[in-house]
Amino acid sequence: MKDLRPWTHAALYGALWGALEATAGTALHLGRVPFRGEIMGLVGLVCLVCLRRLQPQIGVVLVAGLTAIFLKIFTLGGLYPGPLVGIGIQTLAVEFGFIVARGPWAAAIGGIIAFGTNPVQRVITAWIVSGTEAATAVLRAIGEIGGIDARWVLVAFVSFAASIGAVGGIWAWRLAGRVQRRLRGGP
Amino acid sequence: MKPVLVVIYVLAVAASFSSRIEVVAAAALVACGATWFADREALRRVLRLSLLLGLVFAAVAAAAAVAWSSGLDRGLSIGASVLLRLVVLVTVASVLARSVDAEKILAAMSRVGMERLGLVFGLALNCLPHLGETVSTVWVAHRVRSGGRWAALKRLPALAEVLLAHTGRVADQAAAAAALRGHVALSRQVATVATKVRTVVVTGASGSGKTPLLESVVGDLQTNGREVAGFLQPAIVEDGVKIGFRIRDIATGVTVDLARRVEERSGEFGTSFEFYDDGFELGSRALDSIPPAAVLVIDELGPVELRGGGHWPAVEKALRTSEIVGLVVVVRRTLVPALVEALDAEDVVVIDLDDLESGRLTAVREALMTHS
Repeated sequence: MKDLRPWTHAALYGALWGALEATAGTALHLGRVPFRGEIMGLVGLVCLVCLRRLQPQIGVVLVAGLTAIFLKIFTLGGLYPGPLVGIGIQTLAVEFGFIVARGPWAAAIGGIIAFGTNPVQRVITAWIVSGTEAATAVLRAIGEIGGIDARWVLVAFVSFAASIGAVGGIWAWRLAGRVQRRLRGGP
Repeated sequence: MKPVLVVIYVLAVAASFSSRIEVVAAAALVACGATWFADREALRRVLRLSLLLGLVFAAVAAAAAVAWSSGLDRGLSIGASVLLRLVVLVTVASVLARSVDAEKILAAMSRVGMERLGLVFGLALNCLPHLGETVSTVWVAHRVRSGGRWAALKRLPALAEVLLAHTGRVADQAAAAAALRGHVALSRQVATVATKVRTVVVTGASGSGKTPLLESVVGDLQTNGREVAGFLQPAIVEDGVKIGFRIRDIATGVTVDLARRVEERSGEFGTSFEFYDDGFELGSRALDSIPPAAVLVIDELGPVELRGGGHWPAVEKALRTSEIVGLVVVVRRTLVPALVEALDAEDVVVIDLDDLESGRLTAVREALMTHS
């Protein structure tokens, strides 16, 4: 990157993500708002997609993600692994989306991966923390109480989350377009 | 953090994943005990009610599931293990968060050649309070203008647009500021050369006549039999608007395009201009074979050069290898200190055209004559 703008944009959009985590994220957390994780995930997706649309360079999203992780560790929430892993996966997902596709499709792919992997990541984290026996027992309980295979429950969650990610990605791309026009002085 | 503590915490985390509850309990005891002696504030952070309730909730959920599946005793055992494991993990995370120093991280990045990333983090840290305040202010204004919570929520996209655009503007301003200062971390640091000859720095506002003055200086010196080398960069003006620059080799008179204004935000080096290799090559040739005892005229050096790019490599080579008797450089006013530092000039005269309505040529001539 010869130009300085991708670096400063990555810093600022990473900081905006961090600032929104500190303000809106805290408000949602204290208010026990349902789907607060998904809402904050959407906030991150919007920041990253907007950044990538304004500065279409490979790696710029990764720099913003690293910035958000840095701010999360040193100023916001300490070193709790869940949110850090979430930010990391979301960043990699959006970067991957914009490497394999272009335009709104790239944003949609990024959103699908970022949101779709979220339930899987939570299950894996719960599995590690609670141990195999507890995790297996929970899955059996879900299966026997609900009368369905726990794997299908997970698939349903992943599909639902991925759909939100796809819609959120496309919406974020369109919003980024409006931001771009606003910055250029357009209507 | 002391190495012995690192070992203790690593062992405690490893032991917390044991299937035997007494081992997990011992790990929790060791982790909390070590933290009590090493960093009590970290332990206090762990003992917050909300966090403890979260840990207990996770443990109860695991206990209930296992109790339902394998009996109450086993459920209680697993629940206790999960609770103690979470206590170990959260305690170690809390200690780590307090012991990792941001300054050390930035210094380590600098050592491994990741200065730009370190600067990005620094910029983000500096801007975080401003952006946080902006988010709050914009939200309050949005609520008031929307006339209610639900109306405000419906108009959230408009709020997001304002915030994202504001962030983009701040990022643009930060890039411009870094470019103007020739920021050493966001860009390559320009090497300094020891300039021994009298250096006349001509500066002034845009359109103040810097290039026409240098054209007069060149003519004057040549009329008086002096050797002059270097280049001039006259503006390309169409309908009264500056749309680019040409570059002219003073010795040969050859002129080519150096830069043209392009669509906003698509320029190079953080500018609104697209640059042409032909222009830089001509500038390099103009500085390549300077006759002895010549006066070197450079119009002009900008932020790109002061970051080590553009004409700078050729300028640096010329100043190191040629035997000039004087140097005249045009630079914008904000870059004068950076230029003087980059040239490591011992004998400098700065001529600000905004302070001189008349007698500009005489001022430059006298500044050069004082020495040569």
